[in-house]
Amino acid sequence: MNAEKQKEQPLRQAFGYVLFKGLRLAITAGLAGILLFPCLGQERPKPDPSGLTTGDKTSVVDAGGASFVVAEPTDKTAPDYAQKKKDFDEFQAQAAKEPLAVKLADATGHIRIATNFAWTLNTGYLVLFMQAGFALLTCGLVRKKNAGHLMMLNFAAYVFAFLAYYAVGYAFQFGAMAVNAAPGNLGGTPTLNHFLLGSGFWGFLGGKGFFMAGPAYDAGSNVLALFEVVFMETAGYIIVGSICERISFWSFLLCELFIGAILYPVFGCWVWGGGWMSQLGNTMGLGHGYVDFAGSTVVHAVGGFCAMALSVVLGPRLGKYGPDGKPRAFPAHNLVYVVIGTFILLFGWMGFNPGSTLGATDLRISVVAINTNLAAISGSATAMLFWYWKFGKPDITMACNGMLAGLVAITAPCAFVGPTSAFIIGILAGMVVCLGVLFNDRVTKIDDPCGAISVHGFCGILGGLCLGLFADGTYGAGWNGVGAASYLGQAGRGVTGLFYGDTKQFLVQLMGAAICAGWAFGATFIVFKMVNAVRPMRVSKEVELEGLDVPEFGLEGYPEDALSVTAS
Amino acid sequence: MKKIEAIIQPHKLDEVKAALIGIGVEGITISEVRGHGRQKGHTETYRGAEYTVDLLPKIKLEMFVRDSRAEEIVAVLSTAASSGKIGDGKIFVSSIEEAIRIRNGDRGDAAL
Repeated sequence: MNAEKQKEQPLRQAFGYVLFKGLRLAITAGLAGILLFPCLGQERPKPDPSGLTTGDKTSVVDAGGASFVVAEPTDKTAPDYAQKKKDFDEFQAQAAKEPLAVKLADATGHIRIATNFAWTLNTGYLVLFMQAGFALLTCGLVRKKNAGHLMMLNFAAYVFAFLAYYAVGYAFQFGAMAVNAAPGNLGGTPTLNHFLLGSGFWGFLGGKGFFMAGPAYDAGSNVLALFEVVFMETAGYIIVGSICERISFWSFLLCELFIGAILYPVFGCWVWGGGWMSQLGNTMGLGHGYVDFAGSTVVHAVGGFCAMALSVVLGPRLGKYGPDGKPRAFPAHNLVYVVIGTFILLFGWMGFNPGSTLGATDLRISVVAINTNLAAISGSATAMLFWYWKFGKPDITMACNGMLAGLVAITAPCAFVGPTSAFIIGILAGMVVCLGVLFNDRVTKIDDPCGAISVHGFCGILGGLCLGLFADGTYGAGWNGVGAASYLGQAGRGVTGLFYGDTKQFLVQLMGAAICAGWAFGATFIVFKMVNAVRPMRVSKEVELEGLDVPEFGLEGYPEDALSVTAS
Repeated sequence: MKKIEAIIQPHKLDEVKAALIGIGVEGITISEVRGHGRQKGHTETYRGAEYTVDLLPKIKLEMFVRDSRAEEIVAVLSTAASSGKIGDGKIFVSSIEEAIRIRNGDRGDAAL
């Protein structure tokens, strides 16, 4: 016991030292960022912390998103300058004649933004609640002796990934939002306008809003920050499902800091922050660029493939594979948690997908909500029936995994497809998750206690591809700045998949999904293979056999079960 | 004095209890136990991997009774606990040397 303690001490000091150094570096970099970057930007829009100036007459748009306010043309050499100048003068004259109407428009614009704030914040709170669902789901799926550890992992994931996202993650992901992807529904966040790496259509990393301060100290930006941080958390806790029952707490914290600071924000910037992948339509004529509506790939596949890499680094749980290499079952210890957790996740998903419009004034939200539910039930039905047919009894945990698989797969295409497609996507996801679980268990032998790799990784990729197949062109005209006037020779046509005539959209989806899996798996594997070489990330064999609760946190998940002497 | 121990199916407990009270048995102790008999449990699959359920939940009853009543109780008990299927359990009868009531020190049959 003493020898063990002595051995632990220097390691603990080393860990503390690294953490201290890292934090100091992050704070220095952050402060430098806050002070420096506002000077570098050419334009200097002011942040609006009070929310008084966010939303005015320029935010009043028709159903197609066109504003009635005509901006003054600046480029005098443009061929249509004369026409634009004439339109502008007419608008000015009209406005001067009707000052009350302009005032009313200012108020209407403010209310429009307020409606969208309310929608986005409230759906964000739903997504936050998914954390509780996932904690219950994963805790129920593991053995009783690790229940406390599982809950702590889920809890600490929120705290530590948030820390990293607060310091640098948010700035990396959305620091250049206004360049190519200004969220008009939230007032446009004009202060987040600088790429740290790259520029224009080829942005690789955002560069404003470190520590959510300075240009990010803005009402619109903070709505975005709240909504996006809970998305990042989703990728952050997904890994728990694969690495549980054997990872040590200190190395888990490193994983969370890595996801919150680098892994998630980088890919997120490329797709959602106006980065290079979202602009492939503008730069290379590939459909609407890479499109992922609510994060099948950006959130779920990133989490799933990160989990896969970590699970490979860690190796399977002791006893998972017999000497003959046959997989053994470690049955779930609480099916009640598993089912309640799944329902909470389904409920939270009603924020995850419909909320991703970032505004209730986008009436597509109802279609998104129904599509999301349809995929959930068809995914679950497929998994239930598949298991019924293959093993004679439907497996409750696989029925739950099937529902989540459907939800993950519909997350990218949910806004762009119709109900029939959503239902089919759910069926495909139900098949993929069943085969994925069996494939990992029997062929790759990557131990995945809760099926996170199959549910979030494989079905996430499936979701990205399904968008490229099933998108029917009814929604998303002008998405990522492509085809605002007309697309595929049709006015108002939106994002379109292979089955509806746009091969290029499917190609860019295929490429984007591959990049996602490669980035999430590759970056995680390299970083944590090195960490694991410096100090093994797994708990000792004895600890794993005993259960991680007491050795890591000093208390059983269910203390009343411990056979201790309490009669005193 | 005799000790009657019976290991029965959990879902038969209510029936057995009612039958025993019906013939005037006064003291019963029950416990939830796990075990297996000749069948050694059965196999199930969890997420595609097989596992054996070899220790099944059972109920164990213990009664301490006068010698003269043992046969009747065993007969009632085995009728009430029987479903005719594998896993119905077993009854064991053994002799008891002494019984003492803690409250007043009664011994033998008087303590039962």
